[in-house]
Amino acid sequence: MHGSPVCDTDFNSLAVQVFAHQYEHNIPYQNYCISLDIHPDKLARWQDIPALPTDAFKLPSHPLTTFPLKETRKTFLTSGTTTESRGMHHFASTGLYDQSILSAWHELRLPCFEHAISLIPHPDHAPDSSLSHMMGVLSGHFATSSSWITDESGTLDPGDIARAASAGRPIALFGTALSFLHLFRSLEKPIALPEGSWAMETGGYKGTRHELSKKELYELFEHHLSLKPESLINEYSMTELSSQFYTRGLNSPHNGPSWTRIRIIDPITNTDAEPGKAGHLVIYDLANIDSVMAVRTQDLALLADSNLDHGPHPFKLLGRDPSALPRGCSRSSDEFLTP
Amino acid sequence: MSLTEDRIQLLAQACSLDEVRKWTGNISSGDLRAWLESELGSATILDEFHPHGPLLSKAIAPETILHIVSGNTAHAAFQSLIRGLLIGSHNLVKVPSAGLPELTDAIPLFPDALRQMIEIHTSLSDEHWSDANAVVAIGSDASIEAIQARIEPHQTFIPHSHKLSIGLVHDDFETAAALAARDVSLYNQRGCLSLHAIYVSGDSNSFAGMLATEMEAYAHNDPPATLTNSEAGAIRNLREAVRFQAANDPGLKLWESEESLDWTVIHDPSPELKLSCLNRCVYVKALPDTFDVRTLGAESKHLSTIALHPFDQAKALAVEHLPAHRICPMGQSQEPSLYWHHDGFAPLASLVKWKDIG
Repeated sequence: MHGSPVCDTDFNSLAVQVFAHQYEHNIPYQNYCISLDIHPDKLARWQDIPALPTDAFKLPSHPLTTFPLKETRKTFLTSGTTTESRGMHHFASTGLYDQSILSAWHELRLPCFEHAISLIPHPDHAPDSSLSHMMGVLSGHFATSSSWITDESGTLDPGDIARAASAGRPIALFGTALSFLHLFRSLEKPIALPEGSWAMETGGYKGTRHELSKKELYELFEHHLSLKPESLINEYSMTELSSQFYTRGLNSPHNGPSWTRIRIIDPITNTDAEPGKAGHLVIYDLANIDSVMAVRTQDLALLADSNLDHGPHPFKLLGRDPSALPRGCSRSSDEFLTP
Repeated sequence: MSLTEDRIQLLAQACSLDEVRKWTGNISSGDLRAWLESELGSATILDEFHPHGPLLSKAIAPETILHIVSGNTAHAAFQSLIRGLLIGSHNLVKVPSAGLPELTDAIPLFPDALRQMIEIHTSLSDEHWSDANAVVAIGSDASIEAIQARIEPHQTFIPHSHKLSIGLVHDDFETAAALAARDVSLYNQRGCLSLHAIYVSGDSNSFAGMLATEMEAYAHNDPPATLTNSEAGAIRNLREAVRFQAANDPGLKLWESEESLDWTVIHDPSPELKLSCLNRCVYVKALPDTFDVRTLGAESKHLSTIALHPFDQAKALAVEHLPAHRICPMGQSQEPSLYWHHDGFAPLASLVKWKDIG
């Protein structure tokens, strides 16, 4: 991850090596590959590495690790209610994970910052949250002052934002889209953040009744915090991954670091979607070295127009597939839930 | 239209149309008359007072019924509308914004006098809400909750929330597999009466294989509906998740249509009832020793129908303790009787109020 970006040739070579490593040491994954009749000796292209659905991470009886489970030092869990199974991503060490966060930040030329305010809970309060961990790594690396304004109970105190704004120093705000909505509702009046401030928002409104387009959300940022779209960064990742994808503003595609690649799969044919056609996003992440590098998401995306003929292809994220949560009958009157 | 008998004749005429009959089944004027007699005591109770103990009583239909219907299948929409027409109400039908052509294309074929009793809308005004004396809503739990929040104290509310159905096979696997394939596949599993799981007494793995064969045969004769990307993605995701589990757990097994997403059968050793992702994906499970809500899990509280094979009254009574409102022969789960208590509601009696003299 240090130095030059990973070129296509190197990515392919590394991906095939990582697959061989995971095939050998991650026995549940090996069994899956055998059921597909796929073996590292017969595999030459990263695109042919079997991708596991995120649901496979929800099975405690078949942990997806290349190391003995007892050596686990960190486990991140997907969000979920008490009745839902939660995905688990185990780590023997978070060294590479942390390096991936910081190296991607540098490689994708994301802004440095000194003063961070996080709406995301502190890692000590949410030890199984990969997002809190990421925020801890970023603020620990970049920030000279960090403020965590969401307490253990999830209550948000916006006072620090107003104080930082009145001090006139640029700040970097981090939060989920939902936490920003809560922030906007809690502000008695708009706060004009100092020049040079920016915000990173992530996640959707999963499990809630809130539904807002990105444009509507960014209008709220401008109204409440005087942050224009070009000062807003969206981060996309998953607990099951070790790398992140970013976009800035309203209409730009997401880009990932050079040790990732993506495919957009047409679910009808199970092959690459035609250009301009939406499909399900499959992510190949070399930093996921101790679990499974190829992950099939239930997020819909399409390949973005790009002049690049090498490296990770940018993609336009369309959002969570509405069928991702199985439901019984009576789905179509759900429009009543939208305002 | 003042007299019930007139409406009975016109409704029987409408129900004889192919475009309607395929959703309602055969309904004659005699059926409608008998249904009224069964639920309300008389086929003329909406027209005149009848003795009721020491009183004279007459059934009063809501002047206006608002039907909020879902787009999964047209069955429930037709059923609800026929009930409203039979009792003589004016019917506002709110269809999904994407439309419900099976219903809206059929209504112009209805006799004029019935057509005038129906209004179709894709969105509702405040006036529509306030005009309704009764609201029948078909939707997810969250939708029903949102609709319920708009109900006024004077309005009758009949909710039909999220439901699913299961099968139960005791014997005669060969016949049961063919009947189960029909109950799973018909209408692409999109209705509340579609089977999501089949519990099998005996060799459930063997039954799953037989069901797979019958699912293939059914798909050959009645190919599934075209899938959206989203629906196809859900099936792909389910298949890969199950393939992963099956590769690591010999009790779990996957059967799937080759080079298509036509059908999927999963043999799952867990007795917990899980929702299928729909579109002809079904779980087969061994019948647990204790077949109750605790064993089946949280989803069992949403049970609508249990389809049995072989069917007899004793076997039906043996599962009476489960929350399903209907126990029927396998192969008929998707075709309830006109008389059925839809989600436990007497569909005509729940709509009417009464006027007494004496």
